[in-house]
Amino acid sequence: MERQDIIDGLVEILRTVRMVDQAKLESVTEETDFIADLNTPSTEMINIVSKIEQKFEVEFDDDDIDDMGSKVKDAVDLIIKVKQRS
Amino acid sequence: MKVKGRKVAIVGMGGTFPNCTDIADFNHKLFDNQSLIREWDQALAYGKNLRSSVSGFITEAEAGLEMVPSAIYEKLPEIYIDKLNRVPDKNLATADVGSIWAMINTLDAIKMAGWSKEETESEQTAVIMASGGPGSSILRAGWDLFFQLGAKSRHGGPHIVDRTMSYREVANVSCLIKNKGISESIISACATGLGNIGHAYRLISYGIQDRAITGGVEATSIEAFAGFDGMMILSRGFSPEESSRPFDKDRNGFVCSFGSGIVALEEYEMAKARGAKILAVIDGYFNNSDGDGDMFYPSFEGQKRLWKGLLSETGIRPDVVKVHGTSTPSGDSIELFGVVSTLGESGYHISAPKSQYGHMLGAAGAVELISSILMLENQKVLPCLNAVNLNPELERFQSNPEWTGTMKPMEAYRDLIPQKSFSKEINHITCLNYGFGGTNSSISISKDY
Repeated sequence: MERQDIIDGLVEILRTVRMVDQAKLESVTEETDFIADLNTPSTEMINIVSKIEQKFEVEFDDDDIDDMGSKVKDAVDLIIKVKQRS
Repeated sequence: MKVKGRKVAIVGMGGTFPNCTDIADFNHKLFDNQSLIREWDQALAYGKNLRSSVSGFITEAEAGLEMVPSAIYEKLPEIYIDKLNRVPDKNLATADVGSIWAMINTLDAIKMAGWSKEETESEQTAVIMASGGPGSSILRAGWDLFFQLGAKSRHGGPHIVDRTMSYREVANVSCLIKNKGISESIISACATGLGNIGHAYRLISYGIQDRAITGGVEATSIEAFAGFDGMMILSRGFSPEESSRPFDKDRNGFVCSFGSGIVALEEYEMAKARGAKILAVIDGYFNNSDGDGDMFYPSFEGQKRLWKGLLSETGIRPDVVKVHGTSTPSGDSIELFGVVSTLGESGYHISAPKSQYGHMLGAAGAVELISSILMLENQKVLPCLNAVNLNPELERFQSNPEWTGTMKPMEAYRDLIPQKSFSKEINHITCLNYGFGGTNSSISISKDY
């Protein structure tokens, strides 16, 4: 799976999260910060992570989530890492 | 202690009422002698496993809400959408259905009160409200997901706690309106609605706060319904509109209902000074406990002491007594005899609005106070629907040697209990509510002059 495919999948997830600034989803890049740039409440990251696991058919460990940064590239890296791990 | 000369006015109200679009619709249907009780599809779905299937309820669609299910578990809401854009998504994310109702009702009450942003956000504005039960529907789904389906705790999402804690309605309303005064909940079973309003009244009359948003909520919950159904205390065997029948000799239980009622209270002189419309003045509030060690059975002595406490505070004899009147066999007879032993056999009327919309549990006292304010506004007494036949025989407890009340049967008080709404001069109304554990609350409200 290419990194851009993963980013596209993440944007699809973010479109289902009502607290995310939807107008900013048109220009999401690897450097986009979920919290700082998209105004996502930090608590909503918990729902987003669950949706990522479901969409990309991966299961994160607690340490994976604790160590994940808040940028899109951090989520992409983690998805690739976990897919390779499994 | 009460500050001498300091009065409390009711200046705004809002509610989510069974089978009603808004408070105007509620007002129309009540005084049109309509029942708001319907067959409930959620109860019917359980077939013979539930004894009762009627309720006063409002669906999410009727309330302008749409549930977005969790991507992980469809029975767990991720969030609700407010189709009418009354509440921001940020606030909807942390709210169960009852808290959403409370927020919408609060906005309506503040709008009616005419409070400015500064007044609403003041250190002198309190938020005092609660439900009788927990956020059962969300708890159940969250627990199913974790305990039964073996999901990780985080798969339930970040909002199990804020949507189910006892304090959830206040937490959500306070975050919405950004008040800086006292925010807290009073929990007193089915007296919760009136208990919160009574506490808010005291905060203002004692000089601690100038304003309060207050009331009671009971979110739709098949779980709560099943709990009461299992106690075999819900009405059964009647058509929906005839199911709630306080004082009627064939009554066999209450109708478990859901809804919410929120009122805006303000120190009287401040409200008058800014030209607010005074919906009613609160004369006094009194609450107590039965003290007889009985969890469920109502106490004649406890209710007599309740009346004594309220009357010693207000000295006001009501034109209408808005009773708790649940439609349970023992509750209604004890309550009627308590009223009669206090006020005598004439000169007032009894109104039992649960006959029209059932028992809204933690919301009951608040919605029934709003119904009483509507009686003051309309100068009409709301009926005791379905109180067709009153028992011509003595109640069993009246033959107990320790019984100190009337030796007349309920039928002797027919003239006090109207079956239809009617007009009369109403200046003062007393509202009564009781709860499991023997908790009792009473409030007296008057028309402003």
